[in-house]
Amino acid sequence: MLDSAMAALASLADPSLLIMLLIGTVAGLVMGLIPGLGGTGAVAILLPITFGMEPPQALALLIGALAVVHTSDTVSAVLLGAPGSASASVTMLDGYSMAKKGQAARALTLAFLSSMAGGIIGAIGLTLAIPLARPLVLSFASPELFMLTVLGVALAAVLSRGNIIKGVSAGLLGLVLGMVGTSPTTAEERFTFGSLFLGDGLSLVAVALGIFGLAEIASRASQRRGQKETISLGGGWGRGIREWLSHWTQVIRGALIGIWAGVLPGVGATAGTWLAYGQAVATAKDKRQFGKGDPRGIVGPESANNSVEAGDLIPTLLFGIPGGVPSAMLLGMLLTYGIQPGPSIITEHLDLMYLIVWSFAIASILGALFCFLSVKQLAKLTKVPFAVLAAGLVAVMLLGSFQEGGQLGDLWIMIILGVFGWLLKSTGFPRAPFLIGFVLAIPLERYYFLTDSLYEGFDWMLRPGVLVFLAILVLPIIWAFIKFVRARRKTNFDDGHRDEQPEDDEAPLKNSSWSLVAAGIFAVAFAAALISSTSFSPEARLVPQLVSIGGLVFSGILLFTEIRTRLRARTEGAGWTLDAGFAFKTFAWMTGFLALTAVFGYLIAVTIFIPAFLLVVARARLKVAVIYTGVLYVVLLALPSLLPIDLPQGWFNTLV
Amino acid sequence: MTVLVAYAPAPEGREALSEGIKEAHLRNSDLLIVNIGRGHHDLEPEEVRGLEARLGEAGLALTIESSVLSDPGDAVIQIAQDRNVEMIVIGLRHRSMVGKLILGSTVQRILLDATCPVLAVRSDKL
Repeated sequence: MLDSAMAALASLADPSLLIMLLIGTVAGLVMGLIPGLGGTGAVAILLPITFGMEPPQALALLIGALAVVHTSDTVSAVLLGAPGSASASVTMLDGYSMAKKGQAARALTLAFLSSMAGGIIGAIGLTLAIPLARPLVLSFASPELFMLTVLGVALAAVLSRGNIIKGVSAGLLGLVLGMVGTSPTTAEERFTFGSLFLGDGLSLVAVALGIFGLAEIASRASQRRGQKETISLGGGWGRGIREWLSHWTQVIRGALIGIWAGVLPGVGATAGTWLAYGQAVATAKDKRQFGKGDPRGIVGPESANNSVEAGDLIPTLLFGIPGGVPSAMLLGMLLTYGIQPGPSIITEHLDLMYLIVWSFAIASILGALFCFLSVKQLAKLTKVPFAVLAAGLVAVMLLGSFQEGGQLGDLWIMIILGVFGWLLKSTGFPRAPFLIGFVLAIPLERYYFLTDSLYEGFDWMLRPGVLVFLAILVLPIIWAFIKFVRARRKTNFDDGHRDEQPEDDEAPLKNSSWSLVAAGIFAVAFAAALISSTSFSPEARLVPQLVSIGGLVFSGILLFTEIRTRLRARTEGAGWTLDAGFAFKTFAWMTGFLALTAVFGYLIAVTIFIPAFLLVVARARLKVAVIYTGVLYVVLLALPSLLPIDLPQGWFNTLV
Repeated sequence: MTVLVAYAPAPEGREALSEGIKEAHLRNSDLLIVNIGRGHHDLEPEEVRGLEARLGEAGLALTIESSVLSDPGDAVIQIAQDRNVEMIVIGLRHRSMVGKLILGSTVQRILLDATCPVLAVRSDKL
């Protein structure tokens, strides 16, 4: 095992791997700064670039980005008080306060060093998990692997933010969407409505970029003006290092909390960071400075921030249960390379595992180093109004999703899912279970039928591993039910909620007619799936029907509660808010861009869309629009020769 | 000098409030109320005005504060340390055996973490 580890390190000396790691790290740092992208957006955008690469190079690129996404998001949180991601909002509490007192450099030093340490400790945790989990993982056969896929979706649904019924509905809908295409057992077409394009299934990149990427862009594109003045950085970098060393216990504890949060499926960086913050406050004797510039409020959470991504990889690679959304996508990517997580990764691809570990650790160190060196440039980047960035991001995302199948249909799916993702986000539905369900749908079905064919009747359910997983599946549900009952009796205000995040205001349209519509869409979708699955052969219809029935039950409960709340409360709740209007306008722009691409081809569409968007939506100056478009045009022209990237061609191009 | 009351809209919270008012009068201290209830069920404005008036007669001030910390126990401790209060007053309620075992309580945390005297009162008397 040690020789595999060393061999993997030696393989990193290969220049192509090193370059990929470097590019990944830089890309991750830049994307960490852009609000709303985070690890999910970074992996989703980089994924298309990896098509056609060998697994080691692809992994070096993706892991490099994933490791540092949470290192740079602190910059805007500390300097502008505007967190780039939800997890950075924890650092903002004390970091921004420190910066306002003129100690921005101190805050950033503490943050960057903690991020680096968190990444390294996370990588160590991942390394240790391998031999520890190995005997367990090697004993898994298809029944256990099947239960693991079920567990993956279920835990993600139950542990995600938002109420559990919404989580389960989202997970089940993700499963249904994942089953669009060819059935893994009977090779018949399901849910394709006769379309050849859908016969290949939906593209992971399109789904991820739609539900997460476009939805985020739509909800933030209204930001036209840059942020308020940046706080000056000041000096004092050296002092910060010494101070950081004095908090080493906090760093380690934060990292461990992060790894634990990462291991739990569906519990992502945000929850882990808040957990770490809560623990830092709880164990502090003098709590006065928290929220006002206490270094302990930065050090632990930032460390947890980064180690969560490493912790996410543990269940993803060893058990095939995605620990979070970015690793769900990584899982999807590994599956397309034919690398099955779980037993086969430990036996055949151990070198890849160690490559991931080393890449994570090295990227964390490099990331922190780059941040230190380029803080001023990064700070400048954060001042760009999001609407300006949005134009380029939309173009990049559309290009990215095009790469997987070369079909414009994927891009339409992306936009439709973008609208849906925006609706989910605004009405308080967690989207992580949706994507995890989407990724795990086919493996789930495959393992089920494998189990069914290898084992007699239902004996496999009595296997110890399966029973343990069933228990793990059922326990959180019972726990959640108990909490629900107690909350109804309103006797539990006394229970502290140290581990919870503050009420989120990210879901402004919760409990309004929008959420009724959302619940309705779920119910209709499940009903449609149920009806169309009756035409499949018995084997192909089993799982879809089970999932649809379950989905109907849950969305039915949702609809019922929504209608009941609607009838009880006389007020309308939020109607057509300003944000909603802006979001839909943004989607209209995206659709327009896609239509242009379909007709004129990508390159021409870009030269029309970008300046138009910049001038009208972002209200940028003409000079900015011209330069922006010009640079983008040149880059896109050169891109196909540098990378294996295809630019979508339009109907026009086929004539010319 | 200040007395801090950890208030919640429940019998024990009200008991804590009335006890806190007594303490404030006794010690000739200002009263500081921190809301520890889930949700935002603060005291009604008229109640606040009434309290202010009563305390004002004795020359004492009433303030209501909150903290960025999401855990109510931590918030109370933080404000208590920050304002250097002389005493925290909290209300206890009956907890079943299982309740004591598996669920922590804000009151317990305040009792254990406070760096000033704590007065714990119950609403159910003999």
